[in-house]
Amino acid sequence: MKVDVEGTLKRIESYKGVIGTIVVNAEGIPIRSTLDNSTTVQYAGLLRHLAAMARSSVRDIDPQNDLTVLRIHSKKYEIMVAPENNYLLIVIQNPCE
Amino acid sequence: MSSSGSVGPKVTQRLKHKLGFKSYEKPKDSTAREQQRKAAQVLDAEGRDVTPRPLCPTFLGVLPLDEIFSSKGSDRSKPTSSFADLLTSSSFLESTSQSSLSPKDSWTKETIDSLTLQDVNPNLPAPYKVPVKINRVEEDLTEDMLDEVVQKVITDRDTLTLLDLSLTHGVSEEAEDSNAVQERNVLYAELCRNRTNNDKYVDGATQTLNGMPKVKKIQTNKNIVVDEGATATNWDLHDSYCEQKKTPEAHEADIQDLTASTGKGQDRTAESISGDTGSTVSSLLEKCEDSFKARPDLEDVLMSDSFKSSLLVMERAVATNVLLAELAAYKNLPVLEDPDRTAEPGFGEQSDEDEEHLSTPTMKHLWVFVCDLTKGYKATSMAWSKKNSNILAVGYIAHDSKNPNPGLICCWSLKNPKWPERVYSCHSDVMSLDFSANNPSQLAVGMKDGSISIYSVNTEGETAFIASSREGSRKHLHPVMQVTWTKHQLKLSEKERQDVLVSVSIDGRITKWFLGGSGLDCIDLMKLKKIYDAKKKAAGGKKVEGNVLVPAIPALCFDFHPTEYGIYLVGTYDGLIHECSVSNNEQFLNTYKHHIGPVNHVEWSPFSPDVFLSCSSDWSMHLWQRGVSAPTMSFRSAYSEVHIAQWSSNSPALFAAIYKQWVEVWDLNSNIMFPTIVHHAAADVELTSLLFARDSDSVLVGDTEGQVTVYKLPNLRVGRTKKVESLDDIIQSVSSHRW
Repeated sequence: MKVDVEGTLKRIESYKGVIGTIVVNAEGIPIRSTLDNSTTVQYAGLLRHLAAMARSSVRDIDPQNDLTVLRIHSKKYEIMVAPENNYLLIVIQNPCE
Repeated sequence: MSSSGSVGPKVTQRLKHKLGFKSYEKPKDSTAREQQRKAAQVLDAEGRDVTPRPLCPTFLGVLPLDEIFSSKGSDRSKPTSSFADLLTSSSFLESTSQSSLSPKDSWTKETIDSLTLQDVNPNLPAPYKVPVKINRVEEDLTEDMLDEVVQKVITDRDTLTLLDLSLTHGVSEEAEDSNAVQERNVLYAELCRNRTNNDKYVDGATQTLNGMPKVKKIQTNKNIVVDEGATATNWDLHDSYCEQKKTPEAHEADIQDLTASTGKGQDRTAESISGDTGSTVSSLLEKCEDSFKARPDLEDVLMSDSFKSSLLVMERAVATNVLLAELAAYKNLPVLEDPDRTAEPGFGEQSDEDEEHLSTPTMKHLWVFVCDLTKGYKATSMAWSKKNSNILAVGYIAHDSKNPNPGLICCWSLKNPKWPERVYSCHSDVMSLDFSANNPSQLAVGMKDGSISIYSVNTEGETAFIASSREGSRKHLHPVMQVTWTKHQLKLSEKERQDVLVSVSIDGRITKWFLGGSGLDCIDLMKLKKIYDAKKKAAGGKKVEGNVLVPAIPALCFDFHPTEYGIYLVGTYDGLIHECSVSNNEQFLNTYKHHIGPVNHVEWSPFSPDVFLSCSSDWSMHLWQRGVSAPTMSFRSAYSEVHIAQWSSNSPALFAAIYKQWVEVWDLNSNIMFPTIVHHAAADVELTSLLFARDSDSVLVGDTEGQVTVYKLPNLRVGRTKKVESLDDIIQSVSSHRW
């Protein structure tokens, strides 16, 4: 059985404490989101540069390495960003609800 | 006029009046140098004069200046300076004691003897005694002399020829066209000769006109200068280099892919990744990018492979976040207190354990492996991957016989209990599973219809299926109860022990399988036959003839000895446990007879050699020692069939047993009569399988709901004062007590 993308996304959203998921394309335009528009745009814009910078740092040290997930654990929740060449997958979770 | 600086001002003025008196400086120099050189004569130990001679040959040229000076009667003015000027590498001295110009011969003699130490040994400069020289010069020159007009004639010296190539005109005689060159040279020489008085040649003069310069002005627009910066990061260089290595055909192929709108094409559109805000990084592919204005679409993004892998990683991250405390408890890791969340009580706090110590110990429920796919199935068998202790394979049987997929295999990862990593469906109920140790990705499955399949868990879907024994001629015809990979008896070295797949089935055969030709092929290791009791035979008076069909006895379980490869135990339907050897397929080595009902499970103890545990449907479990025909210990606690009894892989005296409705954990250190922990299943649920976790104090229990629950065993040694005894000690004590 192939990985069902829609099913997986729905499953992720159903985990305990997940606040929202955002998929952003290469230009920074959110293409799929479970949060409201203003929050989505804000997250997309801010996290894009941070993820690119983190990716650049990891690859600078060893060009054959690559960043898989950037996790920002803050007081209130945890933001997980998976950057790729043509998209950005962002999941926000509050693990201790 | 370098030397004039060293001479006193009086003399300098006088010198200036005279023409050509520049040369006077040199005599002073030369005399000074002469003094130096005279002073620097080299004498050896015996006083012989071994001063080195000058390297250049002496020049016997006329010194017109000397003549002039000598007429004045001045000793000083015997310049050798004129030579010195022209031939800087050597200079010639003359004796200051000479009053008149010596003839040439004497000169030469002198000069040969004289030193040129300045050249030969520059490290011996005698101090330049300036005041002395000056005084001498001043004495000789009178005022009248200075006022006279003296004529000096300065002539050039003969040219010193060191190398003359004129004859060859630059072409060596051995060159191929030297003859031609020489001929031409001869012709040219003739021509030059003829030219002088010949009418053919007339000298004429021309004058080139200089053009009038003209100034012309133009005005241009100012060049617009734009500053562009780029950050050449390490990885960008690497990427460009890798792209450059690709052949042009590969480039073309990639561009074709772009139109096919697969995810691959998308990777090429954004080679320019910002190193920091604002500046972009250039790359080779930008020109390709411009020609194909492919805009990543939502669908393209979602269907790309990298998105799927990102999703996988993300799901695991989210799941582990949710289960952080439980996973930490599973792995016996302490959970760090989050300073921002102090309201929540910790999961594994000390207070909990202390409380537990007072009451009956219970298993803590950690999490459940369950998903929608497993609804309607019951979990029958479980196996850990031999290589990766996070991977668990679970076999399922469908409740509903009309289910098109009666058997299911799910490979779960500890990191994600909500969705299995791999799902395979089988044509028949899955009875048993085992991972191979040699090829960690191979999973052998024994099924109810008697067939055995091997899957490779590296891939998903249909390609994972490697081989099956369905078409085999000697396959089992009855349900395969257990499969196991065991080490081969033959060994080349410890590392090279190959795994061998052995299965046991209800048709009484224990067979060894190997991959042959088109599928799995087998060799029978043992066929279980009924043993006729000798007494019965005698009483019946009948002798059993050799060609009477002897019914085979169903074998339900088996286990190979952990260290002695080739020895195994078989539990049978009629309550016998046979100890057999791989090398002997006719006879049993030993038979252990005590159970009344079918023996459901046998297992060697992983810690004590030659001790094994058996459980059967006669509600009892026995602990045996190899070679001893009666069980050493018996455990009977409930009136229910024991499905499985397994040793713990961590503690030597711990084992667990599954009954239909509950799990018992026996700790032989604390109590050999009663189980230490009893855990009841939920009401409608029957428990069907059991597995100990390998690197953790946890137990996995599978049930008829298709759920596999992970329980953590409490630390049973907490608060004990006695030392933990090994199983052998317990057995010793029990045996000694008995007699």
